[in-house]
Amino acid sequence: MALPQRKTDIGPPHYKQFLPPVIQKNYGKWKYHEVIDPGLMVHVAESGDKLWTVRVASPRILATDTIREHCDIAEKYCGGFFRYTTRNNVEFLVSDEKQVEPLKKDLAKRGFKMGGIGAGISNVVHTQGWVHCHSACTDASGLVKAMMDELMPYFESKRLPSKVRLAVACCVNMCGAVHCSDIAVVAVHTKVPVIKHEDFKNMCELPTVIGSCPTRAISPDPANKSVKINAEKCMYCGNCFTVCPPISIKDPDRDGIAIVVGGKVSSLRTSPKFSKLVIPYISNEPPRWPKAVAAIKHIVEVYAKHARKHERIGEWIDRIGWERFFSLTGIDFTFQCIDDFTFMRDTMRTSATFKW
Amino acid sequence: MEMTELQNKIFAFCEAAKGKKKLKEKDIINGVNAESGVDKDEVKKALREMINVGRLMYSYGGGASSVEIPSEEYLREKGLIK
Amino acid sequence: MKKYDTPLIDELEKGPWPSFVTEMKRAAKNNEMANDALGHLEKCYKTRVGYWKHGGIVGVLGYGGGVIGRYSELGDEFPGVAHFHTVRINQPSGFFYTSAALREICDIWDKYGSGLTNVHGSTGDLVLLGTKTEALEAVFAEYSSRGWDLGGSGSALRTPSCCVGPGRCEWTNYDTLDLSYALTQEFQDEIHRPTFAYKFKIKMSGCACDCVASIARADMSIIGTWKGNIEVNQDEVKNYAKKGMDINAEIVNMCPTQCISYDGKELKINNAECSRCMHCITRMTKALRPTGERGATICIGSKAPIVVGSLLSWVIVPFIKVEPPYTELKDLIRKIWEWWDDNAKPRERIGEVIEMKGMRSFLEAIGQSPIPQQIKEPRKDPFMFYTEGDIAAFKAKEAEEKKTGKFKF
Ligand code: HEM
Ligand code: HEM
Ligand code: HEM
Ligand code: HEM
Ligand code: HEM
Ligand code: SF4
Ligand code: SF4
Ligand code: SF4
Ligand code: SF4
Repeated sequence: MALPQRKTDIGPPHYKQFLPPVIQKNYGKWKYHEVIDPGLMVHVAESGDKLWTVRVASPRILATDTIREHCDIAEKYCGGFFRYTTRNNVEFLVSDEKQVEPLKKDLAKRGFKMGGIGAGISNVVHTQGWVHCHSACTDASGLVKAMMDELMPYFESKRLPSKVRLAVACCVNMCGAVHCSDIAVVAVHTKVPVIKHEDFKNMCELPTVIGSCPTRAISPDPANKSVKINAEKCMYCGNCFTVCPPISIKDPDRDGIAIVVGGKVSSLRTSPKFSKLVIPYISNEPPRWPKAVAAIKHIVEVYAKHARKHERIGEWIDRIGWERFFSLTGIDFTFQCIDDFTFMRDTMRTSATFKW
Repeated sequence: MEMTELQNKIFAFCEAAKGKKKLKEKDIINGVNAESGVDKDEVKKALREMINVGRLMYSYGGGASSVEIPSEEYLREKGLIK
Repeated sequence: MKKYDTPLIDELEKGPWPSFVTEMKRAAKNNEMANDALGHLEKCYKTRVGYWKHGGIVGVLGYGGGVIGRYSELGDEFPGVAHFHTVRINQPSGFFYTSAALREICDIWDKYGSGLTNVHGSTGDLVLLGTKTEALEAVFAEYSSRGWDLGGSGSALRTPSCCVGPGRCEWTNYDTLDLSYALTQEFQDEIHRPTFAYKFKIKMSGCACDCVASIARADMSIIGTWKGNIEVNQDEVKNYAKKGMDINAEIVNMCPTQCISYDGKELKINNAECSRCMHCITRMTKALRPTGERGATICIGSKAPIVVGSLLSWVIVPFIKVEPPYTELKDLIRKIWEWWDDNAKPRERIGEVIEMKGMRSFLEAIGQSPIPQQIKEPRKDPFMFYTEGDIAAFKAKEAEEKKTGKFKF
């Protein structure tokens, strides 16, 4: 069968054709919304029209047949209209209140999990991991699954002082907004890369490789027509591996994960913040990562117990101080927690006032 | 300058850099402009035509995109040679 | 079809959260590529290392992006993933779809690819995971002839993306869906043909809640804001109080600028001191809403940690009107690119170039004056540059003062 004629530079289809009639009519004229439960909210327009949104979890990796199932459901209850969210949830857009309960029942029967709205835990922003990336120290999808199995009550029903945004990055490239999450897992390498000198000259450009190293650990090795790495300077970022495949940094017994906390992206109350390192190393333990999952759950629980209403984790810590965060959580404070890279001068304490 | 002549110049410029330097589109436009004095927009247009028919191609490596001369394998895959 | 034994990843089908392994198995039922992807993944879990090779040069004729080459080191053992390229489909603004549109996307993908997707990738594209080199031209012809184009990758403008905005949010200050569409259309060439030093990302949020995390992961963050007052509906304030909200604790004391007061009856806002953080509005959406002139704040520079640390975007243009045809904004973007292009070394993001060359060089190039809204605090060190022009201007001001007899600092 002949292929259709390709077109170039057409861009995406115009979004208007995908908006349900109630949105077309009330576009930009929304008045308020109410969260009815973690899986359901209603938006009310100036005109009085209402739009119900039922949000369900997604593993982000979807088989086409699952997308078709979303389509079936949307056709039955929403005139075929639905959307996905930035955090990869599915949202069914209902304009007829009578369809809300039947939709929820149907979703429950099919095993979809409703939730993620409001002051709890929504879906986890994450990267590709072993499923699809060359650089991965661990598997992002697996970690997300293991974490969320344990944190499910906070998705479906249990409430927290404020939203807790989670993320997983399977290497320090941190695709996604991992570096500004309430709690995030970042997979790390911990050993100086090994170089296959015989492949270097065919596969890598010397200046590019030297220039790729943030700590200037790499210098030419003319004898081998390759490069050498100063082990005292290397902090295992893997950037040299990204630009030069014969430099290998993977090591299954040493690759691990770190946990960072206290970041946020919104400007509500306080400025956006980076997440900060609290646990520098936990062994990479597929398929369920029990220690990492327990650590995250523990941090969530300590936060839930101590924070004031509406305080994000980073705001709570700013109020109580990092020394108090470490004492409340019982997390060991280690050398890795002291910045010795670009941010030391901004992160050391410069007053003799602190808590015991 | 004739389009064909300009395109031959562009091709020669890329050939000279082959295996030595990854050329960004801008390097080629600036380089050919400096060598021949042809207006940059025209060089760009000629370059784009060459990419559209597979005489040159966009490539990717070392973290950045570049323009290079396609391999036979690429041309075969695109059905441009047998 | 070869049947793989997958005891490790089977563990990830247990538990309440939806399982990506179940998804992979669902796709694998009638797809050899997805089936091999399962076996391949089980092997990663067993050995605890990945087997994907670095990228590779693949794409569609004429474009320099939109397809990301992926090959496995274990192509002989798992032939279905020997080639496993990613295709990025440019999503519609706000991720709105109809079932008909998605069915079409799925049908084509089943024909040429693994049947596996990411809905969506973090850049915003609808990501199709896993196809072979020889299928790429056909995939592109099928999608583009039906109105779907590829997104960006490599040293190019990456697919712009936005929050749901006027589609379903009362807080938006501009039409994020329309702006995202308009910029995507305006800069098709920059998306498909990589000519930059490195990637450039644009993300659009309608308010300071920043639902697309633009401040943290976009070279250009366009965040909606306003200039007028917050209008207070006192009846609704009373309703919130009646329903049990502790207005002093939850609203007044949490306002970062301490510009709200509440005497148990009436809520008052000293609007001149409000920094428009959105806290009070999001807590009392029925009672409070911004009024007056709407627009956006433009911030520049955020990126992830590679190479010397993450950046958050910096405020560059405190207020810009955002109305079709967006001419001012498009001109600004072009000026930003021009300066970046002139100054960047390969693989330098714009935030890094600004750090190297100095904020002044950047602001002058795009025609922005220095104003205190751009900074948290002024410089702490006395090591600064003075141009001849600067000194001449200081001197001219002093000459003027001598004439008028009044100091102007
Ligand atoms: C869920 C899985 C993945 C995530 C989250 C992910 C994430 C990323 C990110 C964040 C980049 C940044 C590129 C850039 O902006 O410079 C990237 C680039 C790249 N990824 Fe992935 N990736 C995934 C899977 C894969 C897979 C499976 C492959 C190959 C089979 C792959 C191949 C590439 C390539 C070749 C690039 C460079 C292309 C570019 O610059 O756009 N990725 N990926
Ligand atoms: C067999 C040879 C090579 C393999 C297997 C390979 C593999 C890879 C991989 C896996 C990526 C990651 C893509 C990503 O996630 O961003 C990549 C990206 C890249 N590679 Fe290679 N590479 C090879 C040769 C080269 C060479 C020789 C260069 C340059 C001289 C190069 C330059 C790059 C660049 C610039 C990127 C983009 C990274 C980014 O987006 O930041 N690659 N390559
Ligand atoms: C050297 C640095 C980086 C490399 C090599 C890299 C590589 C990649 C690759 C290969 C992908 C493609 C994933 C896919 O669609 O299959 C990707 C996706 C992505 N990258 Fe990066 N990336 C880098 C840095 C960053 C940074 C700094 C950010 C954000 C600040 C970022 C954000 C993203 C996002 C949001 C995606 C989309 C991921 C997804 O599909 O979920 N990347 N990156
Ligand atoms: C052109 C640059 C500078 C010059 C010529 C300079 C000169 C001086 C001089 C002469 C003193 C002695 C003052 C006195 O004891 O009477 C002094 C003290 C000092 N300077 Fe600087 N300085 C410069 C830059 C800086 C900078 C950049 C900093 C810090 C960021 C700094 C911090 C100090 C401090 C802390 C003292 C001690 C003040 C004290 O006695 O408490 N100086 N400087
Ligand atoms: C960048 C240039 C300079 C810097 C950063 C600098 C900084 C300082 C500092 C920090 C002190 C110590 C103040 C203290 O003891 O509290 C100092 C003292 C002194 N500097 Fe400099 N200085 C600079 C240039 C000069 C120059 C060019 C001269 C003379 C030509 C000079 C002459 C002195 C003298 C005489 C003292 C001792 C003052 C005292 O005993 O209180 N300095 N300078
Ligand atoms: S975080 Fe690292 S390993 Fe994970 S997908 Fe991104 S580049 Fe790949
Ligand atoms: S891993 Fe990072 S720090 Fe170590 S040599 Fe490579 S680029 Fe440098
Ligand atoms: S960023 Fe603001 S306007 Fe956009 S969806 Fe979020 S809350 Fe609404
Ligand atoms: S928007 Fe923020 S700063 Fe302004 S009044 Fe409300 S809480 Fe205060």
